Amino acid sequence: MSHFFLMTVYALLVSAFFCVLWKRDRRGQIKLFLQLFLGLVGGGILAAWLMYPFPAGPPTPFP
Amino acid sequence: MSDGSATDQITEASSLARRAWQAAVAAWLVPGAGHLLLGRKRRAAAFLVIVMSALVIGLALDGNLYRVEPDRPLTLLLTLGSMGLGGPYLFLRFVAGYSGQVVAPGFEYGSAFIVTAGLMNMLLVLDVLDIVRGRKE
Repeated sequence: MSHFFLMTVYALLVSAFFCVLWKRDRRGQIKLFLQLFLGLVGGGILAAWLMYPFPAGPPTPFP
Repeated sequence: MSDGSATDQITEASSLARRAWQAAVAAWLVPGAGHLLLGRKRRAAAFLVIVMSALVIGLALDGNLYRVEPDRPLTLLLTLGSMGLGGPYLFLRFVAGYSGQVVAPGFEYGSAFIVTAGLMNMLLVLDVLDIVRGRKE
């Protein structure tokens, strides 16, 4: 399991939760899900890219 | 005439408060149970699957089931967030004795999943209260 995979699963669950909580119609749910999911994953990648020049240390390997 | 109407209003308010209380407790104890009580079966099933998936993934990664540590004030907030899980939190902490493994590679991720599951369930409790009080469909 990679860090990216876990982040994607996390984004998936959070997006699914809020789209069911906040929207009733199927179309609105799909739209909100995509907005949240892409925002979370894209935001994560953007934050990682911004932090890339400033490494904190060696990455922790996942088994 | 007006006495009867006032009595009806008090009875109705009392019934509403009791219904809200029951739904909120059910929602806290079992994710999705509050929505099930209110007849939202599909949403209840979706919430149960989502919240329990987050919890199970957190447990599989050996995440922390937070408890208050006096020298770390932020653990109070994290504990409150985790306690939002209700029944599963009580079971894991007091019956199963689960606490997570700080040396596990997925400890931080797992802790985030568990706290998120608790926070999501808290939002479900608030959602149920809104539905009972007529602020939401």
